[in-house]
Amino acid sequence: MRAEIKKIEEMMEAAEYVTDPAIAMSVHLAMTLKKPLLIEGHAGVGKTEVAKVMAKMLETNLIRLQCYEGLDAAQALYEWNYPKQLLHIKLEESTSHSLTEKEAAIFSPPFLIKRPLLQAISETGTPPVLLIDEIDRADEEFEAFLLEVLSEFQVTIPEIGTIKATQPPYVILTSNRIRELSDALRRRCLYLWIDFPGFEKEVRIVTRKVPGVNERLAREISRFMETVRTIRLAKVPGVAETLDWAQALTSLHADHLDEELVAETLGCVVKDAEDVKRLKRELATGGIARFVAAQS
Amino acid sequence: MAVPRDLMRAMLGFGAMLRASGLPVTTGALMDAVRALEVVDLMDRAQVYLALRTVLVSRMEEQPAFDRCFEAFWKFQADDGQGLDGLVAAVQPRGSEEEPPTGGLEGAQQKQAQIALEDWDEGEAQEGEPLEVPGQSDREVLMEHDFSTFPAEQLEEVARLTVQIAKRLARRVSRRRKPTRRGGVVDLRRSMRANLTRGEIIELRRRSRRRRKVRLVLLCDVSGSMDLYSRFLLQFLYALQNVFGRVETFTFATRLTRVSDLLRGPSYKSALRRLTEVRDWSGGTRIGDSLREFNQTWGHLVDRRTIVLLLSDGWDTGEPEVLAQEMLSLKRRAGRLIWLNPLLGNPSYEPLTRGMAAALPLVDHFAAAHNLASLRELAGHLTIR
Repeated sequence: MRAEIKKIEEMMEAAEYVTDPAIAMSVHLAMTLKKPLLIEGHAGVGKTEVAKVMAKMLETNLIRLQCYEGLDAAQALYEWNYPKQLLHIKLEESTSHSLTEKEAAIFSPPFLIKRPLLQAISETGTPPVLLIDEIDRADEEFEAFLLEVLSEFQVTIPEIGTIKATQPPYVILTSNRIRELSDALRRRCLYLWIDFPGFEKEVRIVTRKVPGVNERLAREISRFMETVRTIRLAKVPGVAETLDWAQALTSLHADHLDEELVAETLGCVVKDAEDVKRLKRELATGGIARFVAAQS
Repeated sequence: MAVPRDLMRAMLGFGAMLRASGLPVTTGALMDAVRALEVVDLMDRAQVYLALRTVLVSRMEEQPAFDRCFEAFWKFQADDGQGLDGLVAAVQPRGSEEEPPTGGLEGAQQKQAQIALEDWDEGEAQEGEPLEVPGQSDREVLMEHDFSTFPAEQLEEVARLTVQIAKRLARRVSRRRKPTRRGGVVDLRRSMRANLTRGEIIELRRRSRRRRKVRLVLLCDVSGSMDLYSRFLLQFLYALQNVFGRVETFTFATRLTRVSDLLRGPSYKSALRRLTEVRDWSGGTRIGDSLREFNQTWGHLVDRRTIVLLLSDGWDTGEPEVLAQEMLSLKRRAGRLIWLNPLLGNPSYEPLTRGMAAALPLVDHFAAAHNLASLRELAGHLTIR
């Protein structure tokens, strides 16, 4: 049994994702218990990445639904192709088809546009990975609607009938916690909180994802990020920022951090004007030594 | 290794522990937990922990409580002790029912508080419509001014800002659309339906944005330690209550009092007079117990469209455990949970009181509320998203 989780860790690593036991466990359980997995965490810690890696690992399709305020069932599930319907009605004007026949014709599968949810349900073959990204951006009404789809994995289109998934897709939901999600949704999901990576994990991520970065630089960057995240900033930098920065520094052929270099490239680390000021102040008082101090 | 039936029993016991610590664990989740344990190595503590956490925890804030329970649970499983009943009883938090001391002292305090309120009342420049008084120019100075030293006649500035905040709240508009007669964007779906028989679109159906209804629940600490700030807070509560319709206001120190009706009305002065009826002024603080009372009696007022605003310095003489548990239950229901702490304006202040430390991880926004600048900043956070 252990071996399976070990295997998932290996497969995730092979798919270029630096994982840890908690992430591997939740992916393992999402697959064996066939339950949606809700992933929360700060921006840029690799939540969306989990779904991508799962699809790669399982060699199946990734179907992504990006949520936003105002997203409704029509945009997530299906929509009728109105221009095509209109055109069809025009063309049919001179024919002797009855109204019922005309109606049946334009509300049939050729005029149906499948949006991600319907697509995920009607897929044949290996079950796809359905990524419902940033669910906290959608309205509560949409969240409630989603509950129904997620518990039944079936969709009823009045004009066509019920479409039921032959095999339910693997579902990953992500949330940045802009809005609190309902207990009902949480109850239906397994849960994973991805925190900022610890020092060792971040070093691994940097060396893995940034080719040509040297060991010392990777460790100094990770140590720096670790310290930065303890400062009260408006936008705490995530792993994405770490990687941007490491990339920038390597392209400058840096092999270690110094004050000048940090000052020049600070924009990669913090993206908020107030935060930049704040960080500059901290650097001016404590110097860079404070940030990379706890020696690696 | 335990056989499945023992596993189920153990899980039920564990579930009871978790529930006692405030986690909403359903029987369905416990069944999932058993299934999860079947696919991990039961002798491996780390794996059992991760599997159970994945299934039974459903928000990050629940994790500390989960960790405590797991610790006890695993220890118990390892010791193979005297049955689950004992274990569950052992970790059940005791509800501290102790009443604060009553009698002479409290009565005296009360009197003092009443006098303080009346004094302030006298000090007010004019009666009437504090919400509409035009503001003066020395704003910049006012912005930095700490409320603990705020002269009463400058409170109108507070009122003006509060009105702005309330209006802002009332203006929130949803991006979801509803059908309308005119105006708004064309709704193709409905238009198609309406014109199906005609062969072309003659009549257009439209839809426009729907108003999002936000509600506000204010919980204001009026205990002794908050005295310096109470006059400002009251003004704030009064303005919010009267400008923004959907507000419910409560005060608490050792017990909870609903004051929405007392605050309502055109005259601030008479609202103040009515408020002196609140018997709790300047007493000690039992935030956790007060919140429990709120959750039990008034919990239905809070839903995802509700912003809960807690005004308190966090000096709690009750059990931190109770506070954490009630905060969790409040957070679970509220759209947004904001804690305003007047002490936070002091640069050297660290939220280290036990109560504050327990509650802090559970709030969506933690901010100062000691001067106008901090109030202005608050406006930006008073949204559900």
